[in-house]
Amino acid sequence: MELWKYIGRRLIQIAIIFFVIITVLFLLFRLAPGDPVSRMVDPDMTPEDAEHLISQLGLDKPLGMQYLYYLKNFFTGNFGESFHYGQPVIDIIGSRLPNTILLFTSAIILAALVGIFLGKIASWHKGETTDTVMTIGALVTHTVFLPWLGLILIWVFAYKMNWFPITGMLSEEVWLDPDAGFFTKVLDVLHHMILPLTTLFLIHFGSYLLLMRSSMLETLKEDYILTGRAKGLPEKIIRNHHAAPNAALPVVTSVGLSLAFSINGGALTETVFTWPGIGRELVMSVSQNDYPLAQACFLLIAIVVLISNLVVDTLYAYLDPRIRY
Amino acid sequence: MKTDIETPRKAHLKKFPWMDRLRRGWAIYKQNLLGKIGLSLLVMFALMALCSFIPPLIDKMYQPMTGVDPEITRSTGPSLRHWLGTDFMGRDILSQLLAGARVAFLVGVSAAFMSIVMGTAIGMVAGYMGRFVDTVLMRLADMIMVMPTMLVVLMIAALFGQLTIWTIVLIIALFRWPGVSRVIRAQTLSLKHRPFIEAARVAGASHLRIIFRHIMPNVLPLSFLYMTFRVTSAIIIEAALAFLGFGDPSTVSWGMMLQWVWKTGHMFKAPYWLLPPGICISLITLAFYMLGRAMDEVLDPRLRKEAGSD
Repeated sequence: MELWKYIGRRLIQIAIIFFVIITVLFLLFRLAPGDPVSRMVDPDMTPEDAEHLISQLGLDKPLGMQYLYYLKNFFTGNFGESFHYGQPVIDIIGSRLPNTILLFTSAIILAALVGIFLGKIASWHKGETTDTVMTIGALVTHTVFLPWLGLILIWVFAYKMNWFPITGMLSEEVWLDPDAGFFTKVLDVLHHMILPLTTLFLIHFGSYLLLMRSSMLETLKEDYILTGRAKGLPEKIIRNHHAAPNAALPVVTSVGLSLAFSINGGALTETVFTWPGIGRELVMSVSQNDYPLAQACFLLIAIVVLISNLVVDTLYAYLDPRIRY
Repeated sequence: MKTDIETPRKAHLKKFPWMDRLRRGWAIYKQNLLGKIGLSLLVMFALMALCSFIPPLIDKMYQPMTGVDPEITRSTGPSLRHWLGTDFMGRDILSQLLAGARVAFLVGVSAAFMSIVMGTAIGMVAGYMGRFVDTVLMRLADMIMVMPTMLVVLMIAALFGQLTIWTIVLIIALFRWPGVSRVIRAQTLSLKHRPFIEAARVAGASHLRIIFRHIMPNVLPLSFLYMTFRVTSAIIIEAALAFLGFGDPSTVSWGMMLQWVWKTGHMFKAPYWLLPPGICISLITLAFYMLGRAMDEVLDPRLRKEAGSD
């Protein structure tokens, strides 16, 4: 019950933060040099269409009214029309979001699991070669420049070895082939996904490993570990059942805290591998001055970060019964 | 004779107690393998940054941004004339690489310094004042913390057009203080009720004086520790922006070099051009990161004991 109250309180906080973000974005769009109308209405539109869109977005009204229109349009999902694609922004975003979620969540979860597992081993062998190798390896993969790592992986595994496709998410010949079964299509996506997934995974697992290692070393000093040893439990049980679950808690928090950082990496990965996701769409729309699309992508990413933070915090409260909010 | 040398040094130490602290810190730091690697890498990059002034003096074609080799119009591999080859319009890659080191230090250190100053000031004020001020400042910090800095800069670039390197640095600093301020706030909270602060208050010291004269010296080491981590993130963000094509077009940074390789389609043809900038960005972030971890051990005796016990 207390957990629900906590979630409710956090939801209100998130709503406030989000409200501030969209307000700031609204003001930025009006403060920026140039005509705000030209930023929301495609210059190539016919005058009638443009007029219709202007009245729909309330751009002919005073600033206060514009803001109300802006909020209303936001909650009804009306973000205007993309200059580049000539389609409603909401449709484009709807088709890109699942791709981003697929790539991003699988990479983060995989990285967290592997990081926790290897961090546990590293802490167990503290001071030995295993530990040193793992620590240095984690430091190196954690700090390598992400887009460059992506380019190198493409160069080696897609261009030289020809194991994986160089770009994209789907092969046209598979998806246009009416005989291709569902399974073939899934395999095709997986085939395209391996390199971007590896890039994101390599960048993230190092920090989780290092965190798990130090957290595990901290936990091993606790009294209940000593008790476990005193009553003669096997070391393996102490490690896997007594120390590791508690030591993994800070890793869960750090997944949430580093999310903003991870989103940057996600956008870079999508751009390098031309993975059709939200991050790449944001980067593209900014370089093409496609303001409606850029704004919507940005807001969507903000929502995703805020909600994932809530999920992580809730998970934390659930995993650690000692924490009561 | 011996006492003549000894005495002035001791007097010196008494006058500046921090020098003694620094020496003891250095003794601990020296035992740390990661710290030594990180520091040597940084010295190497500092030398590169210093050397960046030399090539343009030798010949005009070694100007990193504007110098073009008149005999070369496309990217060529390493040669005696161009040790690391040339880029797509015949500019020398080595001199660009050296200039990039200078930009990386400039961006990293200035952005980190600004965000540390802000974070420390805000954290101390929030922790010391408490109540309303604390709540407002910390909620603000929460809000900024969930924003992906790189994408924020992208958005600002979209609205306000091409950003100069200093605008980018400023925005990075403005969005990277919350992490520091949280730590400093926690530290301030623990200091606030110590006897020496109460004594200062009883003696009639103003809030400002207590914050800057009594609390600040106790939180500064922590701020400097965080500065090394901020340097890393600032360099990465700037490099990523330049890589995506939103960097300052009048400065050569390593991210910009990678963008040129990528955008001109040389990534499969010119490994001599693709490898150096990426290795440099990765190594400099690694170096600052290692420096930070080693400093962490100097400042936190608990970590040190753990590392030294076996």
